[in-house]
Amino acid sequence: MTGPGLLLLGCWFLWGMDLTDMPTTKASTVPIQLLSTAPRRAVLSDPAMITLDGFERTCMDCHRLFPARDMAPEELLKHGHIVLDHGINNLCRNCHYTEDRNLLVLHDGRPIGYDDVVVLCAKCHGPTFRDWERGMHGRTNGYWDAAQGEPRRLGCTECHDPHNPRVPAMDPMRPLPPPNTIRMGDHGRAEHEEVEEIDPLRRVLNDGH
Amino acid sequence: MSTDSDQSKESGRSASEKARVPVPTDSQVSRRGFLQLVSGSVGAVGGLGALAAALSPLTELDRSEFTAEHFFQKHYKELNPDEMNLVLDRIRKEVESLYGVTASLADLKAGDGVGFAYALNLGRCIGCRKCVHACVKENNQSRSPEIQYIRVLEMPRGSVDIERGNHHYVRPRVPDENHYYMPIQCHQCSNPPCVKVCPIEATWQDEDGVTVIDYNWCIGCRYCEAACPYWARRFNFTRPGYTDPKSEINPEMNYLSNRPRTQGVMEKCHFCLHRTRAGKMPACLEVCPVGARKFGNLLDPDSEVSQILHNKHVFVLKQEVGTMPRFFYYFDQEYPRKKEATSGEQRRASGDLLQGETERGEPA
Repeated sequence: MTGPGLLLLGCWFLWGMDLTDMPTTKASTVPIQLLSTAPRRAVLSDPAMITLDGFERTCMDCHRLFPARDMAPEELLKHGHIVLDHGINNLCRNCHYTEDRNLLVLHDGRPIGYDDVVVLCAKCHGPTFRDWERGMHGRTNGYWDAAQGEPRRLGCTECHDPHNPRVPAMDPMRPLPPPNTIRMGDHGRAEHEEVEEIDPLRRVLNDGH
Repeated sequence: MSTDSDQSKESGRSASEKARVPVPTDSQVSRRGFLQLVSGSVGAVGGLGALAAALSPLTELDRSEFTAEHFFQKHYKELNPDEMNLVLDRIRKEVESLYGVTASLADLKAGDGVGFAYALNLGRCIGCRKCVHACVKENNQSRSPEIQYIRVLEMPRGSVDIERGNHHYVRPRVPDENHYYMPIQCHQCSNPPCVKVCPIEATWQDEDGVTVIDYNWCIGCRYCEAACPYWARRFNFTRPGYTDPKSEINPEMNYLSNRPRTQGVMEKCHFCLHRTRAGKMPACLEVCPVGARKFGNLLDPDSEVSQILHNKHVFVLKQEVGTMPRFFYYFDQEYPRKKEATSGEQRRASGDLLQGETERGEPA
């Protein structure tokens, strides 16, 4: 009796009966461009270039003819796309050199090139600059081990728009789809609900605790 | 015995006739004999059925993973370089045949004088979950069912009680003003409870501080998952599923890190050791758009993480459980910042305008 039975069992394992199908969620693909590791912003060249009628020009190509006037940004006739939202730093001439628009200006009146924009930012944001120098603020991409490759520490304007330096809000990527474990809380409460009272272990009991 | 033979001789019966004598014919089945037969066969069938039911999960296992080479493979620490090369060759072929991907598989060892540490600036994290998905892409986690190493908790402002964090927040925009975001992944503890509970030493802490798993040694008991206070370990309930393996699988692989796993083994974050042991930054750090993540060598006093540990008020999660994580959190600003009033009128209205200052920031 046992002999044939074990033989049958052996055959069952050998040729397989996939009796149980595990329910799995269908994988949704992640747009690859969302996972780009490139800096958020392109670095400006020194001097900064602007494309006008298909030609690359420096600022002074125009401002040699039209001297820049000291105006509040909201009074500007040109450069209307610039949203200046930089706290109490709300004048063009605080950072742009009035004599030569190809240059920036430190707060003591000395001009400085676009390449050294970090120094300009540091004149107001001292503690942040100190942190950035030590690698405690900002992004460092590439290599942690300088012996094996080049660590690339991004400058201020590679992440922050100098006219509007707050990092903008963005879409969050999707969370882990259900089904899931008890430790990950309740899936039913994702959308904008007050989540202050979530207790994942108790929520599943559904008894109001 | 002698009497039987004597009798058979005496009676002159044939052997066959004699053999029939003790066996009862159908009409002669005794009650006791019948009950023995029935209960015996019922018991045997039932027992086999129970055995089959108990062993039925074995039918789900992939037979290609049960070769002699798999069975006789030594523990990772006992493999000499030649044996390791054979193992790597075998895995390379398996990946090729299963997924059609030509992988470059290596076995990078921990470097001398390197102790990894991770620091995360909670004041900067905006909860965009890019790290979560960059990790999945880098480390060849299963896409279906989806396995993610990093979970981002949306935490109410002013609390570090992670029981109140929401794992599943979905918003049109992050960050939300009333929350901050706390990503949690393997903390690579210096005193790892997951390693202590492993009954077969399939997981251990390497010299650079990364707790690794030998996927070929793991028996899938999931003790480590239960022991981990940071919810960092993941279990492969099925063979990892990919929608399009050729485009999804990262061919840069390492034995202890991101080679495709099999069904029934544990996995977890390993600080991208195929990258970090080659000097690179982990994938979650590379993709972070706000620079909230910092990684480096703790034993180098000039490294970014050392500077953060010296200069910032760092804390570790669940310090009271004594795991001594290599993953540190810190705040260096209140975040997410409430939107500042910027125009002169708004600032004047909110009493924020500096004394003697006009709308344009000039002295009155």
